[in-house]
Amino acid sequence: MAVERPESDDPARHRHQIQTLILAVCILAIVLLAVIVVVAALSWFNRFGFLNFPLGFYLLAQGLLIFIVVMAFWFIRIQERIDLARAESEEWVGR
Amino acid sequence: MTLPSRLRSPNPHLGAYYGIVTAALVSLVIMLAMFEQLGWGRPALAQTMMIVPIALYLLIAVGARTQQADDFFASGRRVPPVYNGFVLAAIAVGGAGFLGYTGTAYFLGFDAMAIGLGWTFGMLAAAILFVPYLRKAGSYTLPSFFGHRFRSRLLRAMACALQLPPTALLLAAEIKIAALIAALFLPLSFAVAVVLIAALIAAIAILGGMRSVTWAGSAEFLVGAVGLVVVVTTVSIMLTNLPAPQLTYGETFSDLEKAEATSGVTPLRPGTPVAALPGPAPLPAMKPYLQPFGILLPVEFLTLFLSLAVGTAALPTLLVRSGVTSTVAEQRRSTAWGLLFVAAFAMTVPAMAAFAKLTIFREIALAKASSLPGWLTELSDMQLLRTGDVNGDGAIGAAELLIGRDGIALALPSALGLPYVLTALMATAALAIALAASASHLFTLAASLAEDLYRTVDRRQALPRLAAARAAIAATALAAAVFLAIADVDPLKTALFAFAFAAATFFPALLLAIWWRRTSKWGAMAAMATGFTVILADAVFGRALGIFGSGFSAPLASLIGASLALMAGIAVSYVQGAPSKAELDYREATRNPEGETIHDRAQARAAAAAASAAARVEQGTATDGLR
Repeated sequence: MAVERPESDDPARHRHQIQTLILAVCILAIVLLAVIVVVAALSWFNRFGFLNFPLGFYLLAQGLLIFIVVMAFWFIRIQERIDLARAESEEWVGR
Repeated sequence: MTLPSRLRSPNPHLGAYYGIVTAALVSLVIMLAMFEQLGWGRPALAQTMMIVPIALYLLIAVGARTQQADDFFASGRRVPPVYNGFVLAAIAVGGAGFLGYTGTAYFLGFDAMAIGLGWTFGMLAAAILFVPYLRKAGSYTLPSFFGHRFRSRLLRAMACALQLPPTALLLAAEIKIAALIAALFLPLSFAVAVVLIAALIAAIAILGGMRSVTWAGSAEFLVGAVGLVVVVTTVSIMLTNLPAPQLTYGETFSDLEKAEATSGVTPLRPGTPVAALPGPAPLPAMKPYLQPFGILLPVEFLTLFLSLAVGTAALPTLLVRSGVTSTVAEQRRSTAWGLLFVAAFAMTVPAMAAFAKLTIFREIALAKASSLPGWLTELSDMQLLRTGDVNGDGAIGAAELLIGRDGIALALPSALGLPYVLTALMATAALAIALAASASHLFTLAASLAEDLYRTVDRRQALPRLAAARAAIAATALAAAVFLAIADVDPLKTALFAFAFAAATFFPALLLAIWWRRTSKWGAMAAMATGFTVILADAVFGRALGIFGSGFSAPLASLIGASLALMAGIAVSYVQGAPSKAELDYREATRNPEGETIHDRAQARAAAAAASAAARVEQGTATDGLR
C-alpha cells in the first residue's frame, strides 16, 4: 500500500475532507428532517390535496422519494466538484 | 500486464444485448397472450413464461463464466453504473420485498410507506457514507475491508462470522419466496422447488462469480421491471383510463373508501390489537387504506423507517458490489441509479396495493355469498385467499375475506379479469427479482467464507482460490436448501430482521472505520460485538421477557444496538490510544478519490515483485550455466 502524507500536511487534502464531511452531514440531515417533519405534521399536510391525493399521503408515498433521488444526484454533482478541486490542487503541487 | 480498472472499457454492445433481452420478453408475452386466446392451457402458459427466462439467465451466466480472480470477485471492475444500479435495486428490494411490500401496503395502507422510504433513504446513506470509500479500498468482501483497514486477521474473521446471520437469513428468505412462486405455477412440490432454485442460483454464481451474478442479475432486474410495469400499467388503464399508475391512483381513493365502508372496514382506534406487520397466512384487511398511523404509531413508523434505512446502508450484499465499477465517481453514480430504481418501485407499490384493494373490495361489496365472482374461486384454488359467509348474513364482508400477504400482487390481474398471461408475467417478475437477490446473497456469503475464513485458516492453500470459492458456493446453497426444509420462514419478516441485524452489527463499525481516524481495531470489534449482542439478545430473549411488547422489537432493537455499538466503539478506541501509522495511512488512502483501488495497487506490486524475483532466479541460473 502506498503511504500518503498525513492529512494535516496537506491543506488541499484537509479541505477536501472537511467539505466532504459537511456535504454528507447536510444532505443526510436535510432528508432526515424532511421525513420527520412530514410524519409529525401529517394531519396538517393532509388538509391539502395534490393530484387527487391527500398531501401528507402523497409526500410519504412519492414526494419524499422524489426528493431523495434529486438529493442523491445533486450530492454526486457537488461531491465530484469537491473531488476535482482536490485533484487539480494535488496536480498543481505535483508540478 | 493487467490494465488499470479506470482504463478498462465495458462491452460497447451491452445496451444492444439487454435491449434484445427486453424485446424478447415483450415478444414472449405477446406471443403467449395470442396462444392463450387460441386455447393454450394455463399450465403450459405459466411454464413457458417462467422457464424461457430462466434458460436465458443460465445462458448469460455461461457466457459470463471466468477463471480470473478479479472477474470472479469484482466483475473485472468495469460494470457500467446503470447495470450495477439494476442489481443493487434488485438486492435492496428482493423477491420478499416485491411481493411482501405490496401485501403489506394492501393490509396497512398508509402505514406501510415506512418500508419504501427506509430502502430509499438507506441507499442514499450508503452512497454518501460508505460506497466511495469501499470502492477505493477495492476489497473483494466487507470483512476483507475491515481486515485491511485495521491490519487484523482476527477482526476479518470476526466480521465474516457476524456477516453470516443477516446474509444467510436474506438468502433463505429469497430462496423461499422464489420456491413458493415456482411451486404455485410449475408442477413442482415446494421441497423440489427449493432444491431447484438453490441449484439454479448456485450454478449462476459458480460459473462466473460476481461477473455472472451481475450480468444474469441485470437481465433478471429487467424482466422484473418490465413485468411489473406491463401489469400495473394495464391495470391503471382499466381503472383510471390513464397509463400512469403512480399519478392516477389518487383518483380511485373516493371509490376505495366507499368500497371499504360497504365491506365493513372502519377506522382502527389506536391500541387496537392488530399485528404490526402482516404474516404470510391469509388474513382479513381491516384497516382503511388511507388512515394514517392506524396500526403503527408515528414513533413506530419512524423506527421502522430508520431501522430499514440503516440496515440497507450497511447491508453486506449491497456494499460488496462497491468494487465492480471502474472509478469512485462511477460507483457513486451506480448507487444513485440503484436508488432511483428502488424509489420507482416504492412509488409503484402503493398504486398496486390501492388498485388491488379497490378491485377486491368493490367486487365483494356487491357480491352475494351464493354467487361469488369467478376470480374468487380461481384464487381460492391457487390458495391465495380463503372466503366464506361466516356470519350467515348472505354477503361476504371484509372480515370474511382472508387473503395471503404475498399473493396480493399475483391476485391483481385475475381479480380484474385480465388474461392469465399477465398473472404468469407478474409471477415471473417476482421470481426474477428473487433470483437476482438470492444469487447475490449466496455469492456474498460464500465468497466471504472462502476468502476471509478458508484462506486465513488454511495457510497451505490446499484448494486454489477460485476452487475454494466455488466449493463454498455449492456448500452454502446446499445448507440453505436443508435449512428451508427444516425451518418455516416468513420471507418478509426474515428479511426485515436481517436488515435489523446489518444495521446493529455493521453500520456503527463502518461509520467509525471510514469517518473517524482514531478508531482502533479493538474499537471496531467492540462496536460490532455490541450491536450483534443486542440484536441477538432481542431475537432470543426479547419476546420471552416482554421487553418490546408490540411485536415490533427487531427494528427498535437494531436502533438501540446501533447506538450502543457506536458508543462502545468510541469508548474502546479512546481507551486503546492512537491507531498505528499503517491504519492511518490506509484510511487516508481510502479518502483519495483518484487512482487505482488500494487492493489492485497491492496486487500489482506483489505481481511485480514476484516477476522481479523470478527474473533474478533466472539470471542466476544463466550465470551458473556460463560458469
